Amino acid sequence: MPQLPIERHRLDNGLRVILSRDPRAPLVAVNLWYDVGSRHEKPGKTGFAHLFEHMMFQGSANVEKGEHFSLVQAAGGSLNASTWLDRTNYFETLPGHELELAIWLEADRMASLLPAMTQEKLDNQREVVKNERRSSVDNQPYGDWDERIQALVYPDGHPYHHSTIGSMEDLEAASLDDVRDFFATWYAPNNAVLTIAGDFETDAALAMAHRHFGPIRANPSLPPPPDMTVDAIIGRGVRDTSADRVPLTRIYLAHRIPPFGTDAFDALDVGADILGSGRASRLYAGLVREQRLAQDASVFVFPIVGGASMLALWVTARPGVTAETLEAATLAEIDRLATNGPTDSDLERVRNLHAAHAAGSLERISERADRLSMYACLFDEPERINSEVARYAAVDAARVAAALRASAREDNRVTLTYVPAEAAS
Amino acid sequence: MIARPPAGTPRTYRFPDFVRHQLPSGLGVWLVPLAERELVSVHLVTDAGAATEDEAQAGIAALTAQLLVTGTERLDAATFAETTERLGISVGSESTWDSARAGFTALGSKLDDGLALLAEMILTPRLDAGEFERLKGERLNDILQARADPGRLAEESFLREVYAPDVPYGRLAAGVPESVRALDVASARAFHDAHYAPGVAHLVIAGAIDPDVALAAAERHLADWSGAGTGHRTFEPRQRGGRRVVLVNRPGSVQSELRVGHVGIDRHHPAYVPALVMAALLGGVFGSRLNRRLREELGYTYGARCTFDPRRAAGPFTASAAVQTEVTVDAIRELLGQLERIRSEPPDEAELAAVRDFLVGVFPLRFETTPGIAAAIEPLAVYGLPDDYWQTYRSRLEAVTVDDVLAAARDLVRPDDALILVTGDASRVRDELAAADLGPLEVVPAA
Repeated sequence: MPQLPIERHRLDNGLRVILSRDPRAPLVAVNLWYDVGSRHEKPGKTGFAHLFEHMMFQGSANVEKGEHFSLVQAAGGSLNASTWLDRTNYFETLPGHELELAIWLEADRMASLLPAMTQEKLDNQREVVKNERRSSVDNQPYGDWDERIQALVYPDGHPYHHSTIGSMEDLEAASLDDVRDFFATWYAPNNAVLTIAGDFETDAALAMAHRHFGPIRANPSLPPPPDMTVDAIIGRGVRDTSADRVPLTRIYLAHRIPPFGTDAFDALDVGADILGSGRASRLYAGLVREQRLAQDASVFVFPIVGGASMLALWVTARPGVTAETLEAATLAEIDRLATNGPTDSDLERVRNLHAAHAAGSLERISERADRLSMYACLFDEPERINSEVARYAAVDAARVAAALRASAREDNRVTLTYVPAEAAS
Repeated sequence: MIARPPAGTPRTYRFPDFVRHQLPSGLGVWLVPLAERELVSVHLVTDAGAATEDEAQAGIAALTAQLLVTGTERLDAATFAETTERLGISVGSESTWDSARAGFTALGSKLDDGLALLAEMILTPRLDAGEFERLKGERLNDILQARADPGRLAEESFLREVYAPDVPYGRLAAGVPESVRALDVASARAFHDAHYAPGVAHLVIAGAIDPDVALAAAERHLADWSGAGTGHRTFEPRQRGGRRVVLVNRPGSVQSELRVGHVGIDRHHPAYVPALVMAALLGGVFGSRLNRRLREELGYTYGARCTFDPRRAAGPFTASAAVQTEVTVDAIRELLGQLERIRSEPPDEAELAAVRDFLVGVFPLRFETTPGIAAAIEPLAVYGLPDDYWQTYRSRLEAVTVDDVLAAARDLVRPDDALILVTGDASRVRDELAAADLGPLEVVPAA
């Protein structure tokens, strides 16, 4: 695989700056990872990291409400932000000659969000986020699966126990003081990574980063990371069933696994693809095509780093197939892979699909910038982007089998079943 | 704090050059060599979309497209999947109203192997009865699942209610349960025979290729393909009635999915470009009038937008938002108010410039990826657009004036004729909707 060029710098205020130049297209990506996500939220403040992300688009000292979007779009760029368990990211992709606009916009809100903050803006975005929750969770079939899974895989009080979107009650209670505290605590240059990828001149880009981010003060008292300690396995099988307004039964299975960045995680990443990626995957071939028990199947691992991650999957039953039948058939496929390990054909298949998929993803400079920020933020090692494919390809059959035997076991499994409401009564 | 910095000097950008051939069989071959790429994208685009199917067989185009990837005469479904995926190739095959597309994106070194398997799949598909029944079952299940999803239910309901009953666009391209249930593998075989033909097909190969090598590979692997193809039907999309309100009851909903609109424009409409600009200004960018008002001022929704869906014939124009149930009627009034306003209040130069600059400036970003460039060739092939379409695209956008936007709005946005479709909990919104004087109200169960 081609290696991306990577340069690392650090400003005096602690901001890490990652540069990856590629002048093929006249485009540049700017990406900021703040090392703060829903896992940093305090009790009673669930959903706040994400609500705060919305407030970052409500203007700052030199930028009007909504202007961050309109300036970048008028420059021919695309942009957004997202919040997840470990982090919050902000990103713009725009024509290369507009690089400084994006850097200035990001720096302005990191430096001076609070002068522009008002109760009216908070109330407005609170309503927007409550509607986001309604759209993605409360009004959506199977919409609360991840919330429920997280609550069952991680113990009460663990930072991954609650979802990123948070509860309506906590969103309702969020105050301007919370905004001020959160900003002062987490939105500091020494808690962030700035990545610039694509078409730029290195000296000029670095000068821009110094010019706009350099004057921002570090937070000398960043809190220590939250305690993510958790037992390696759940310790007992956990089951939950929910009647929902859905036509088809669906089962979610989740296991507590070693965190992203470990060798075992890589092995389970490969195992997940063998089980669920592509039409030759074990679950698609076995449950969807051959036995015709399932409508679809999906298997994935969560790239999260605190204490423990998750290997999760869902399978949707065809009409007339019971949850028990589907669950038994799913577990049989997992057990067969854990017991016998993958075949050479399985490994060749997922390695080649992974390599093609990685090359496809990295065609987008926004994706490159995001992964560089991720590896810098989570591991202080942006160079990991260049070993992704090799790490994946280095996983052999024995590692997949061993990792599955260690994690995909009955006493480490959450089974969440959704059944059609009319069938439940 | 430092003031907003000025922009640097823009680099020029050209949509990649391509060469076009036509094989003796009639197959169009479009080659787009891209320097310094690892990947190749192959898209075979055929006039085998839903517009080619009989209404009695609604859904056969989509099912046939899906069935193609379940093997060839030589390789059964399992072997075909393993053979392609072991090469790192995921073969896709799907269809829209106007075309069917089969293809893949893979490392450039896999072009010949991939093209051989793609050709085998198109020329000698297995079209197995068992696999057909499986996919048909999955499709029927998916339609059920879609009707449990408020957004997808609103989309299907809007199409059914906005078009006159005999217009094909009144249903999803994937068909309706009644038509899908009647389909069998013989109908798929007949559809494949009639519509998968080089006379109505185009092969696009973009990325890490030598054009001569790619052309030779296309000629070699597709040499035995013949046939003129039947082509698509033409029809005249008409609207069902004028302004009215249809409430699709979805008990327990905590939001109302709103779809407000009417029959829109076709792909060859003379005002296509001004319409794009107008729709972006009204509901296509974050700072658009709809999103600014319903989200950023009122907090009624996570997002409000509008789109045209131009096809060979006139697709729908739809303004949409998912709003909390309590504000359903207010949100409809706000949506309608913006549809009125775009007709009466022209944008000022700055508002227009922001949207136009976005559409012009984002041009290179749209074509960043190899499959993105291959996909950009498709409308040229499917709609017969001129070869310099993308080379002149930005200057056509730049020429759009305030008067053009106002004229497009007055001609193409018709709130007085709009269907107002609400998917939500009738027990909570019916009375208010009935009292709101928005038009005659009809309450229907979720399909």
